[in-house]
Amino acid sequence: MYQLAMRLLLVIFFLISPDIYSHDGINHSIKGKSKADDAAQCVEPTEIMQKEHFVFLYHQRDKTVINGVRTKNHSFANCIDCHVSYDEVGKPIPINSEGQFCQTCHVQTAVNIDCFSCHASVPRGRKPEAHISFNYNHLENQVQVPHEIEELVSYVEGIK
Amino acid sequence: MTTIEKLSRRGFIVKSISALSTVYFIPDILTSVHAAKPLSEEVKSDTKWAMSIDVDKCAKGCTACVDACVEENGLYGFDRPETDSQWIRKLTIKDIKTDKVKVVPMLCQHCENPPCCDVCPTGASFRRIDGIVMVNQHTCIGCRYCMMACPFKARSFVHENLTEQVTTAPRGKGCVESCNFCVNRIDHGIPTTACEEACMKEGHKAISFGDLSDPNSRVSQALKTKQNRRLRADLSLKQRVTYSNI
Amino acid sequence: MEKIIFRKFQIESKTFWMMFFGLGFFILVGYLCSHYMETEGHYVTGMNNQIVWGLPHIFAVLLIVIASGVLNIASISSVFDKKLYKPLAPLSALLAMAFLIAGLAILVLDLGRPDRLIVAMTTYNFKSIFAWNIFLYSGFAGILAIYIWTMLDRNVKKFSRPAGIFAFTWRIVLTTGTGSIFGFLISREAYGTAILAPLFIIMSLLYGTVVYFLIVKAINYFQKTLFSEEIFLNLRKLTLLFLFANLYFLILYHVTNLYISKHLEFEKFILLDGGVYTIAFWIGQVVVGLLLPLFILFRDENKSESSLMSATLLILIGSFLAMYVIIIAGQAYPLKIFTNYEILESSFYDNVIHTYIPTIWELGLGLGGIALSLIIVLIGIANLDFLPTIIKSPEVKKVAESDN
Repeated sequence: MYQLAMRLLLVIFFLISPDIYSHDGINHSIKGKSKADDAAQCVEPTEIMQKEHFVFLYHQRDKTVINGVRTKNHSFANCIDCHVSYDEVGKPIPINSEGQFCQTCHVQTAVNIDCFSCHASVPRGRKPEAHISFNYNHLENQVQVPHEIEELVSYVEGIK
Repeated sequence: MTTIEKLSRRGFIVKSISALSTVYFIPDILTSVHAAKPLSEEVKSDTKWAMSIDVDKCAKGCTACVDACVEENGLYGFDRPETDSQWIRKLTIKDIKTDKVKVVPMLCQHCENPPCCDVCPTGASFRRIDGIVMVNQHTCIGCRYCMMACPFKARSFVHENLTEQVTTAPRGKGCVESCNFCVNRIDHGIPTTACEEACMKEGHKAISFGDLSDPNSRVSQALKTKQNRRLRADLSLKQRVTYSNI
Repeated sequence: MEKIIFRKFQIESKTFWMMFFGLGFFILVGYLCSHYMETEGHYVTGMNNQIVWGLPHIFAVLLIVIASGVLNIASISSVFDKKLYKPLAPLSALLAMAFLIAGLAILVLDLGRPDRLIVAMTTYNFKSIFAWNIFLYSGFAGILAIYIWTMLDRNVKKFSRPAGIFAFTWRIVLTTGTGSIFGFLISREAYGTAILAPLFIIMSLLYGTVVYFLIVKAINYFQKTLFSEEIFLNLRKLTLLFLFANLYFLILYHVTNLYISKHLEFEKFILLDGGVYTIAFWIGQVVVGLLLPLFILFRDENKSESSLMSATLLILIGSFLAMYVIIIAGQAYPLKIFTNYEILESSFYDNVIHTYIPTIWELGLGLGGIALSLIIVLIGIANLDFLPTIIKSPEVKKVAESDN
């Protein structure tokens, strides 16, 4: 009886312990270099992204498909664009492959992700935006934006 | 912000022109001049995407529209024509009365009363408020009922695992897909579909796409200047794709 | 004095397990086939962008139609209050549940994304008859469970009539829904007609009656269950009646289509120059499925059981081919997109009759579904008291003791 109670308490302790589910905060070593490596944080604070990125995905995908909302912030293509790693020769590594960004957490949490049966696992084809794009100086098809205009635009972006 | 150093008149003119030209590039802060919707805004029913196809201008032996669609949407095939997807195709048709042979592109007609949307059990096949009929592939269960329902055989089912999708056109095994008027392109402000652009580049100009609510759009001009009709008008589907000279 | 009691299936343990594992093997094969179809993609099947619904759908629709029809025996007792059929009712409801589950299983496992079943069961577009059918089919299983409970459990026996009426109404709506899957399609000449709903109902009545007879005879091979001469003659009469009704609706459907000029070419395709489809229609659906059984039943003046058995087997072969004609031939004929033009060439097979060659995977899935229905029947009758048995009065106590 005593043993059962102790075991039960142990199980409950583990279940309610918050650290069990949260990321341990250490940067996993992912092969290759991605744009995210240089960025300070994601489009939302890291804490929120780790625990609730699926919330953004589930809601945003309906807004995008049904209502045509295509902000870069919560765009899935943008996520991939930033988080995909490039190997030594500059070739992108599929983001859902072993040891890459998604799988480092998803294997550990044993949550199967289905996204890449349909979504491209590397940036491929025409880039979504037709207008000015920022920050991707080392990739093709860039409109070189004059410095003053880039600042003006990022100022405007910041107002939103 | 950069400190503004003392400017010469020339410098002032150059810089202000460059600065002002951003007005045409930033879609988010300006109501659109070229019907380009701001990225963060939902689509509205004020926009009415439509297409007019002039069959006489469609050239025999040309497959520019098909090739452009394949490239834009990543519709790579597996050399299995019975199961490979086709979003737009060319048909060779013969007039029963005059025996005259024509070619015509066939694609999803983006009906206003789409039978595919009527029969989809999950509502994955839906009509966006701006008139584009498309499949929400997050909800599609792959039952193929919409394929049974379409009078134009516009829909294709993805029969195998795909790994080389393009970023702007997610598509995967087990879901149904069809022409979506290059929705990713037009939502990002490119005012033309891939097929129309290819047809224009080839010089045929058989396909005219655009916004019906804009009287100056190519499709509105085509509807004004030519007699357009709908295929299978007896079904009263009110398609947004119309054909002239057929 | 004779009494009717309900008993479990009394067979040797060895026979039971042999049947169980035999059917289980087919179910496993069926599951593996569907798994292969799901992971490789549907290109391994004979279905393609031209013929989108194939063998699995033939099996599934047929099983669902049979499920609805086989409940008719119970409905006659509960709804139409014919005391003669009351002992047969529980088995009839069990058969309905078994065939329904099997039909649904085949349908779901053939989906492009069976993993999205939860999506299918929670996201509904109520304009779609398919959405209603998902709701109707799963609801039917629940209602059957309740109906069986009211018939087997003495405490709730008084609810068996309302439950029976509810099940009967639900089943009519369900079969109408199944027929309307095709009836609500406006694009093809074969479909888009209101007559498909009553046609499916009348098909369900015919197939259900003969399947019930077949299963009862199969069970009787192992254990004598109630199947009096009177019941047999009744079933025989019903079969004849339903055969005529089927012939009536079929003739009406096709003759009307002949008058609709838009559909004339399609009708000629089915009736004359459709190759394998024409053969399946005339020889399969009409002769083997309807005319030959009528001939056999009329010719047999002794009204023997063997003639009804032969008729049953022919009707079931005909039923399969009837579904083949309805589902496949309807898709095989290319769509008539242009009224004034003939399509000469197309990369998407718009100008040719579409061919369908089923593969082993689809057949495996279909047979697995049939095995699933039979295993549910087997488990049901072996564990619960479904089988009505006549016993003489002094033996009642002995039998009750031996059963327990």
